[in-house]
Amino acid sequence: MAGRRVECLWKRHVVEQLKQRDRVQRQAFEEIIHQYNRLLERSDLQAVFSERLQTDKYEQQNRHDLSPGVDGGRCDSLQQEMAQMRIKHQEELTELHKKRGELAQSVIELNNQIQHKDKEIQSNEAKMLEYQQQISHLEGECRELRNSLADLERANQTLKDEYDALQITFNALEEKLRKTTDDNQELVTRWMAEKAQEANKLNAENEKDSRRRQAKLQKELADAAKEPLPIEPDDDIEVLSEDAGKGTGETSPSRQPSRTPSKRTSQPLPPAGLLDSITNIFGRRRSVNSFGTSPETAEAPSMCTEVRVPSTALHIFDAHDGEVNAVRFSPGSRLLATGGMDRRVKLWEVISGHCEPKGALTGSNAGITSIEFDSAGSYLLAASNDFASRIWTVDDFRLRHTLTGHSGKVLSARFLLDNARIVSGSYDRTLKLWDLRSKVCMKTVFAGSSCNDIVCTEQCVMSGHFDKKVRFWDIRSESIVRELELLGRVTSLDLNQDRSELLACSRDDLVKIIDLRSNAVRQTFSAQGFKCGSDFTRVTFSPDGSYVAAGSADGVLYIWNVLTGKLDKTLDKGHSSAINSVSWSPSGAYVASVEKGSKAVLWSDM
Amino acid sequence: MADDKDVLRDVWFGRIPACFTLSPEEITEREAEPYYLLLPRVSYLTLVTDKVKKHFLKVMKTEDVEEIWFEYEGSPLKWHYPTGVLFDLHASNTALPWNITVHFKNFPEHELLHCASNSVIEAHFMSCIKEADALKHKSQVINDMQKKDHKQLWMGLQNDKFDQFWAMNRKLMEYPTEEGGFRYIPFRIYQTMSERPFIQKLFRPVSPEGNPLTLGDLLKELFPAAICVEDEPKRYQVIIHGIEPLLETPIQWLSEHLSHPDNFLHISVIPAPSD
Repeated sequence: MAGRRVECLWKRHVVEQLKQRDRVQRQAFEEIIHQYNRLLERSDLQAVFSERLQTDKYEQQNRHDLSPGVDGGRCDSLQQEMAQMRIKHQEELTELHKKRGELAQSVIELNNQIQHKDKEIQSNEAKMLEYQQQISHLEGECRELRNSLADLERANQTLKDEYDALQITFNALEEKLRKTTDDNQELVTRWMAEKAQEANKLNAENEKDSRRRQAKLQKELADAAKEPLPIEPDDDIEVLSEDAGKGTGETSPSRQPSRTPSKRTSQPLPPAGLLDSITNIFGRRRSVNSFGTSPETAEAPSMCTEVRVPSTALHIFDAHDGEVNAVRFSPGSRLLATGGMDRRVKLWEVISGHCEPKGALTGSNAGITSIEFDSAGSYLLAASNDFASRIWTVDDFRLRHTLTGHSGKVLSARFLLDNARIVSGSYDRTLKLWDLRSKVCMKTVFAGSSCNDIVCTEQCVMSGHFDKKVRFWDIRSESIVRELELLGRVTSLDLNQDRSELLACSRDDLVKIIDLRSNAVRQTFSAQGFKCGSDFTRVTFSPDGSYVAAGSADGVLYIWNVLTGKLDKTLDKGHSSAINSVSWSPSGAYVASVEKGSKAVLWSDM
Repeated sequence: MADDKDVLRDVWFGRIPACFTLSPEEITEREAEPYYLLLPRVSYLTLVTDKVKKHFLKVMKTEDVEEIWFEYEGSPLKWHYPTGVLFDLHASNTALPWNITVHFKNFPEHELLHCASNSVIEAHFMSCIKEADALKHKSQVINDMQKKDHKQLWMGLQNDKFDQFWAMNRKLMEYPTEEGGFRYIPFRIYQTMSERPFIQKLFRPVSPEGNPLTLGDLLKELFPAAICVEDEPKRYQVIIHGIEPLLETPIQWLSEHLSHPDNFLHISVIPAPSD
């Protein structure tokens, strides 16, 4: 209670005090201050007006003369007018300000719009520029493309034209080829027909001839049986052909079968072998012509039907008493001739793998060094150590001719291709050319070295010498054309069938093939055990030129394959001493080899 | 209580009659009349003297005008004190109206703060409120308020809107009932003759026993000379808002109702008048 009274006390006190304060401080002065301020405002206003009026008054005084009283009155009315005008002007001013503000606003807005539009225009122009550039660029590209297109078209056109032209040429050439082939065919058939005709004619004539001869022979036989006639060794060579014809009459029946191959060859062969057959016929023709125009009935060289590399020794036999130096098959492959140190040339007949002794050719005074048949197979030429070469007729074993003149051992003697001349090479370092008709030595050439072997082509004689050289002689000019030096003493020379390659065996145990066209060593054959046995070891080609056979000092027969250059066979079961000479039968089926130890071996692949 | 609302209204709408005279040192085109104005007690000098400035600028040349400042009988008036405080401190017992001299030049740099614009006043005002709330509620209430609430407080003061101001300010006057009052009472004791500008200490409104403390208790603790003994003549007057409250008045009630808008209880202690 007391607390509340106390509370009320001080609160009441505070309230009263506040009220009193307000009375004193505020209420007393409030009205006065308010009124005072109003008066102050009014007086300020009046001061302003009076200033303005004074200036007007001075102006007016300049114009008019007015009484101060009127001035006073007018002052009042003027003051009022002025006030009104001022108000009006102020109003107008505010209006104009407002309008100006609005216009300024619109001006600003329009400016903004203009700027905006300008920007747009600029961007559009920029874009347009870009587009134009693009357009020009594209136009340029388009032009370039069109140009290139035109170029390509032109090139294409040119190519097409060229192609057409080539096509035409091709067609024309094809046509020509066709025509030429046709012509060729036609010519070939015609030629074949003519050949056939000729062959037939020949055969007919041959028949006729043989029959005639047979009749003659029989008559002569009858005559001969009656009286013995002396046989002269030296006969006219010129008569030889006729004698040969006579002499071979005995063996003519045996030759009949041999002629059949020739008949066979005259028939048209399949085109692949056509060329071969034609050359063969030509060869036969040549050999036929060399004997004059009369068709000869001598043994025709049999066609090499097939070269077979021998693998076994069919027949080993004693050929001579003593060394056997030379061996040769006859061109017909039926006869085998061997020559030895016993001064004899023995003839053997090759029948079914065996060599049957046929006969012996005597007359030589010393050992036989080389043997050769003529291309017909009717004569046999043997060179001998007694400084002479001899010719026998094969059929009757009669010595026909002896050619002397060398001053040393005749190491090799060959028929020239025309079979009318003989060339012989001797130890006396000379080569002699003999004419068979006149039986005299036509030419002697000094070779410079002992000649070990000779081979002949149509124009050329090749001789292998002791001084390691192979000399090429021209027959017509009878002079040396070329020399080829090997690495060892040349012991043997052989030619292949088409006379394009020369086989040379030299003392350095190498067998070389020399290409006659390029005169360079084309191939060299060697083998480990192959040793050249003597200065006269003879080597040979196979009839087709695809193999080379050579006998070694150890009695082994080596056969190389020409195409591969590799050793094909070594045949060692046969000989017991050094092989002196090897011969391959022209038929290709047999190989014969002879040795120092008097034996001869017949090899074949059967 | 109905009385309390009236107290608040009376406090808010308190006015002081002032007469502003231009200092004779100032160069004028013509003589300036004095300007009379009723100054609000709770506001600040520079906030309410726009018209004064305009009135005096009419007679002055612009090149002579620097910052306006006020002075009473030689002492420059600090604008950052509420006007009521300035009056109570300087001219409480003098004749009304309060004659203030207006100066435009020779701004006393060492005695007055510059007041460039109203935002300076606003900043000062808000910082006082925050300081007061820091003492009262550990700044919880003021920090919970949004920026617009702070703005409302200022706008209320600036535009003299009682309701607008008190709508927000009543939150700052609340306290948890179990406490019995604020944590500490925000107050300042001003003296005319003192080196210190004012006395401000921590003071709880409730005694440790739970008794509400009074104004007398405050003065006893902080300004014992102000309390007069029975037999001695009164030496000091303790004025708040132009009145002398009884010493029995509870300090909590005083802080709630007689605080200035900046939530501080500004107490002026002046020597008692001799007559």
